[in-house]
Amino acid sequence: MSAVVPEVEVPASEDVLAVTEDVWMALLGDDAPLLPRTVAPGAPFDVAAWSAATTISGGWQGVVTVELDEALARRLTMRMLALPADEQASDSDVADAVGELVNMVGGNVKSLMPGPSVLSLPAVAAGRAAFSSDSALACRVDLVWQDAPVRVSVHVPQEGPR
Amino acid sequence: MRAMIIDDSRAMRSILRRIVTDLDFETSEAEHGQAALDQMYAGVVPDVCLVDWNMPVMDGYTFITEVRANPEWRDVTLMMVTTESEQRQIVRALAAGAHEYVIKPFTPDAIVDKLSLLGLVPA
Repeated sequence: MSAVVPEVEVPASEDVLAVTEDVWMALLGDDAPLLPRTVAPGAPFDVAAWSAATTISGGWQGVVTVELDEALARRLTMRMLALPADEQASDSDVADAVGELVNMVGGNVKSLMPGPSVLSLPAVAAGRAAFSSDSALACRVDLVWQDAPVRVSVHVPQEGPR
Repeated sequence: MRAMIIDDSRAMRSILRRIVTDLDFETSEAEHGQAALDQMYAGVVPDVCLVDWNMPVMDGYTFITEVRANPEWRDVTLMMVTTESEQRQIVRALAAGAHEYVIKPFTPDAIVDKLSLLGLVPA
């Protein structure tokens, strides 16, 4: 996909990073820092993953996606649900937790952009994220938490003839 | 004190439940506004509702307007707990009858502070 970022306002990577750090801190505490991860431009998320997306529509249009490592998604879920260590989070629990994660990140990205806009309910997948061919990557933040990768990306509608 | 936690995310309900349970609240839960209204019509009327905005079936804003339209529930305190952080939305919710507004992500202290401001827990 050739990314043709249209002449629209897009969130700054550092703002998306700040939003993600705030959400992370609230959900997982500050036991370990969320660190930058170097990934080549255009590289797909390279691990078994859970992904979730939420769409912002109205005064600003875009899709916010979070992808995270399978083990990390389960740890996040265990933490959010306060499950004991000897219990397993079900796939349904993981989908719920990852959905809430993208809801929080997406809602806060929405607040950075012109409004009024509406945030969709999250769509969650056990697997890598799928992106619409008529969208362009506007911003991507690659991070790692305790050796587990996390990616937040923002796509906007692509300009030009469809 | 009784709190009803209204959020479509089980994980978020769990987080909020732990916070208010630590304050000795009894809790009930609903996954959307309509389920919460159904409970209230069935007699489960809490002292405070912690209400998400974006939910399927009935969103939090509609829930607040429905609660405020029923004079029998005028003593129910309504607190939005949501990612909706546009000023316009906050004003809408407060105008519709929400007493307080907390933006996700939040710390447990933020919830406790708001409940204290509302006089629902000792300051």
